[in-house]
Amino acid sequence: MSALFDGQPLTELVFLPTVAALILLLFPERRSREAKIFAIAASLAEFALSIPLWTRFNVVSGGFQFVEKADWIPALGISYIVGIDGISLVLILLTTILTPVSLLYSLTHVEKSARAFSIAFLVLETGVIGTLVALDLALFYVFWEVMLVPMYFIIGIWGGSRRIYAAMKFFLFTMAGSLLMFLAILYLAIRHHAETGRWSFLLADLALVSYPTMAIETVLFLAFALAFAIKVPVFPLHTWLPDAHTEAPTAGSIILAGILLKLGVYGYLRFALPLFPDAATRFAPWLGVLGVIGVVYGALVAYAQKDMKRLVAYSSVSHLGLVVIGIGAFTGAAMTGAVLQMVNHGLSTGALFLLVGVLYERRHTREIADYGGIAGVVPITTGLFLVATFSSIGLPGLNGFIGEFLILLGTWTSDHRWWAVAAATGVVLSAIYMLSLVQRVFWGPLTHEENRRIPEIRGTELVAAGALVLLMIWIGVRPNYFLDRLRPSVEEIRRSVELRKTAQRAPVAVRPAAGVRP
Amino acid sequence: MSFVTFGPRELAAAAPEIVLAAAGCVMILLDAFAPSSRRWLATLSLAAIAASSWFLIQAPIGTSFSSRYETSDLTVAAGLFAAATAAIATLVAKPYLRRTGEERGEFYALLLWGHLGVSLMVRGLDLLVVFIGLETLSLSFYVLAAFFRKIPASSEAGLKYFLTGAFASAFTLYGIALLFGKSGSVRIAALSRPDLATDPLVTFALLLLLVGFGFKMSLAPFHAWAPDVYQGMPTPAVAYLSVAPKGASLIVLFRVLAAVFESGMPDRFRAGIAALAILSMSLGNVVALAQRDIKRLLAYSGIAHMGYVAIALAVFGREALAAVIVYFFAYVVSNAGAFAAVSALYRDETKPHPVGLLAGEGRRSPFPSAVLALCLFSLAGIPATAGFIGKFFVFKAAIEKELYALAIIGIVNSLVSIGYYLKIVYVLYMRDPVGDELPPALAPADRLALLLCGAGILVLGIFPATLWDLARRAAASLPLGP
Repeated sequence: MSALFDGQPLTELVFLPTVAALILLLFPERRSREAKIFAIAASLAEFALSIPLWTRFNVVSGGFQFVEKADWIPALGISYIVGIDGISLVLILLTTILTPVSLLYSLTHVEKSARAFSIAFLVLETGVIGTLVALDLALFYVFWEVMLVPMYFIIGIWGGSRRIYAAMKFFLFTMAGSLLMFLAILYLAIRHHAETGRWSFLLADLALVSYPTMAIETVLFLAFALAFAIKVPVFPLHTWLPDAHTEAPTAGSIILAGILLKLGVYGYLRFALPLFPDAATRFAPWLGVLGVIGVVYGALVAYAQKDMKRLVAYSSVSHLGLVVIGIGAFTGAAMTGAVLQMVNHGLSTGALFLLVGVLYERRHTREIADYGGIAGVVPITTGLFLVATFSSIGLPGLNGFIGEFLILLGTWTSDHRWWAVAAATGVVLSAIYMLSLVQRVFWGPLTHEENRRIPEIRGTELVAAGALVLLMIWIGVRPNYFLDRLRPSVEEIRRSVELRKTAQRAPVAVRPAAGVRP
Repeated sequence: MSFVTFGPRELAAAAPEIVLAAAGCVMILLDAFAPSSRRWLATLSLAAIAASSWFLIQAPIGTSFSSRYETSDLTVAAGLFAAATAAIATLVAKPYLRRTGEERGEFYALLLWGHLGVSLMVRGLDLLVVFIGLETLSLSFYVLAAFFRKIPASSEAGLKYFLTGAFASAFTLYGIALLFGKSGSVRIAALSRPDLATDPLVTFALLLLLVGFGFKMSLAPFHAWAPDVYQGMPTPAVAYLSVAPKGASLIVLFRVLAAVFESGMPDRFRAGIAALAILSMSLGNVVALAQRDIKRLLAYSGIAHMGYVAIALAVFGREALAAVIVYFFAYVVSNAGAFAAVSALYRDETKPHPVGLLAGEGRRSPFPSAVLALCLFSLAGIPATAGFIGKFFVFKAAIEKELYALAIIGIVNSLVSIGYYLKIVYVLYMRDPVGDELPPALAPADRLALLLCGAGILVLGIFPATLWDLARRAAASLPLGP
């Protein structure tokens, strides 16, 4: 068994879902249940593959581990190079957990072309994991864009009534950001070639490029930042999110909110910070301000929603705003908290979308007003929803608390103390809108006759939601088990940014590239 | 004045074209005297294309016919993508012609002769050889456009294409005449004189050539024929016309400009080409958004793509030419593939091809729909497809030459283009079928063509290293700067 993982664990991890998707193509179209079960099995195998990464990960090191490298387009120095640090590790685990969870949920819910649905999910998983492990900018860009295609189909084919609009908006918004990033990547590689006479798209090489003027660095930084900010999404680029999340099928919303949004923050940490340290430092205050606006705005708009799913969608804008504040504050605690908070948000929002989906499948309405007092009818669902809500609003003992606390603490000790104040109001607001949602849906008198006979959560749904709830409690009780893997990597990123900043101020290169530079 | 000698070297050099010319004649004769052989014509035609490609690869590198004819990595590369297009068109043509009841030898013969013209254009080192190639190509396709004699739209397409095409050829010929007058020779190599690069009359002649070949490329503003002609012309012929002649025209332009502007393209001239590129991209993409007929939509998409390619012409250099070659290989599988899928998906060839008719085909005919969607994603330039690789190298070349504005306008345009490509994907997969008649079974030849295109898109998109090396070797055949 272990011999299997000694070879190329990351490559296996990236392409296992694609191989499974190709096998699924051979399934007869009508065998939809078998196709779904096969996809779940494949995603569980993928999860099993990801566990050794976690256990064998060197906790002390902040650098990249399990690195594999192969030539891809040698003439341009484009290579297939993959590796992970603590940040990618936790997000990979989040992906390999949320994918089987959403497929498990879909087992009883997706009827239309289930085979194609499963294929789309598996291809999406390859795209996400590829994005998280790629250390070459061209490779990263390919995976980054490839993710869009299956998601477009997932929203467009299996989504709600306004799915076409939502799918198109999602695709065009995301594409708009990344195309400019594509030009910026090309510019960086060409600049690197001009400086060293050698072609390379490696992150490690391109991070050594020096920019002729601050203006150029700023423009390039903005091209990257725009792509990532749209994905997160940072206010005011968030308008695609409520549509996409609301119209996507439940499983799609789980992946979209649970994983895809995080890739924006991940990209910022992995690429924008090390590549453009000066510009990133200069723009950090703006980022923080946008984060603060996102926190408050998202919370207020969420409070005003009449549709449960839309409410959860807007809560993502608010929660991700908090993450953005943590990144902008740039202290160790805040950034570590921000990364952990991404995982927490993935779990809690994933669970919330899942449970909203459970209710929707039974009552075919997402209007909050159509529910009320169903706690007695569906006690298990109610219990799970409560835990997810408490996790989402940061109740101590659950995962959300750890992340929020670290972000607030880290922001308070940074230069931007007032952000912490604003962020704290967001935490309070989240309690208001989430608890009011719980109250209006589950408590109170049972006003609608139809609600008396809502069936209770089923086996597969329970397993899917239960897994997420267990993780929420685990992270809440043993946060250091997770934080230990994050801290060195976060410190490594902060260190490289600080180094680069000083390196540019003083023309003496701190890390000269082995005599190639003139 | 040198006399053309004809020896074994010339025979080896011209063998690819001789095979094509002869095979075309054989098609006509077989059709006339042995009608029962009609069902073998497509196979024979494919064999002729394969044989011609084989001779092309085997031909000794160098010039022949007293330096009027070239065999180089460039002509091999261009010949190969043209041959690939011709092969796809022939594969698609067989079931298409059978469905329409027009399975006749002329179609294959004209296609082969058109392909012969493309080959001459690419390999000619003499402007007259190039012009004869251009006319061979044009005349064959004027007839192909009007292939369905009984359908008014087809006759209209033929007539329109002929009238405008003849007009454009006159521009080309006038340009050639002026160049001849200035340089005293019709050889392209004779244009490499320092005084010619700055001569206003030569610049004027080059602009005339740009009009003539721009017309063949359907580069805006010389594009107006394309939508009407594509709509009326048999789809397999469009699959060829929309790719190979465009690539050949671009290579001719590169060849001539490389000779005249040995020391680099003047900024004014570059600005002119850049303007054409911007116009072509923007006009093609915006107008395509409003199209309802898929062949017209693909025509406008083609106009936009020629705009991207014209960016490379404006960049001008070895890297740019290599980018163009990669782009056209990608364009063969994506665009010819898209037309192949259109040919397989529409039942009634004689009627217009509204996009709406594809509703729900994703479930009814999964394979052609999937290939069409893949082709559209490739045309849109989504990574992991061939189309992305083409755009990657074009934009890389543009940024290397610091033409940032052109790159940014290009990238904004590809965002616009996603709008209409996705519209087709949406109709295929996210709308319910209109009628309940089941689609006809997919012909084996169609299946093979679609499989080749689909596989080509993914293979070129995921493993582009070999193609890039080939393109770079090919681009080194012209005397271009980096």
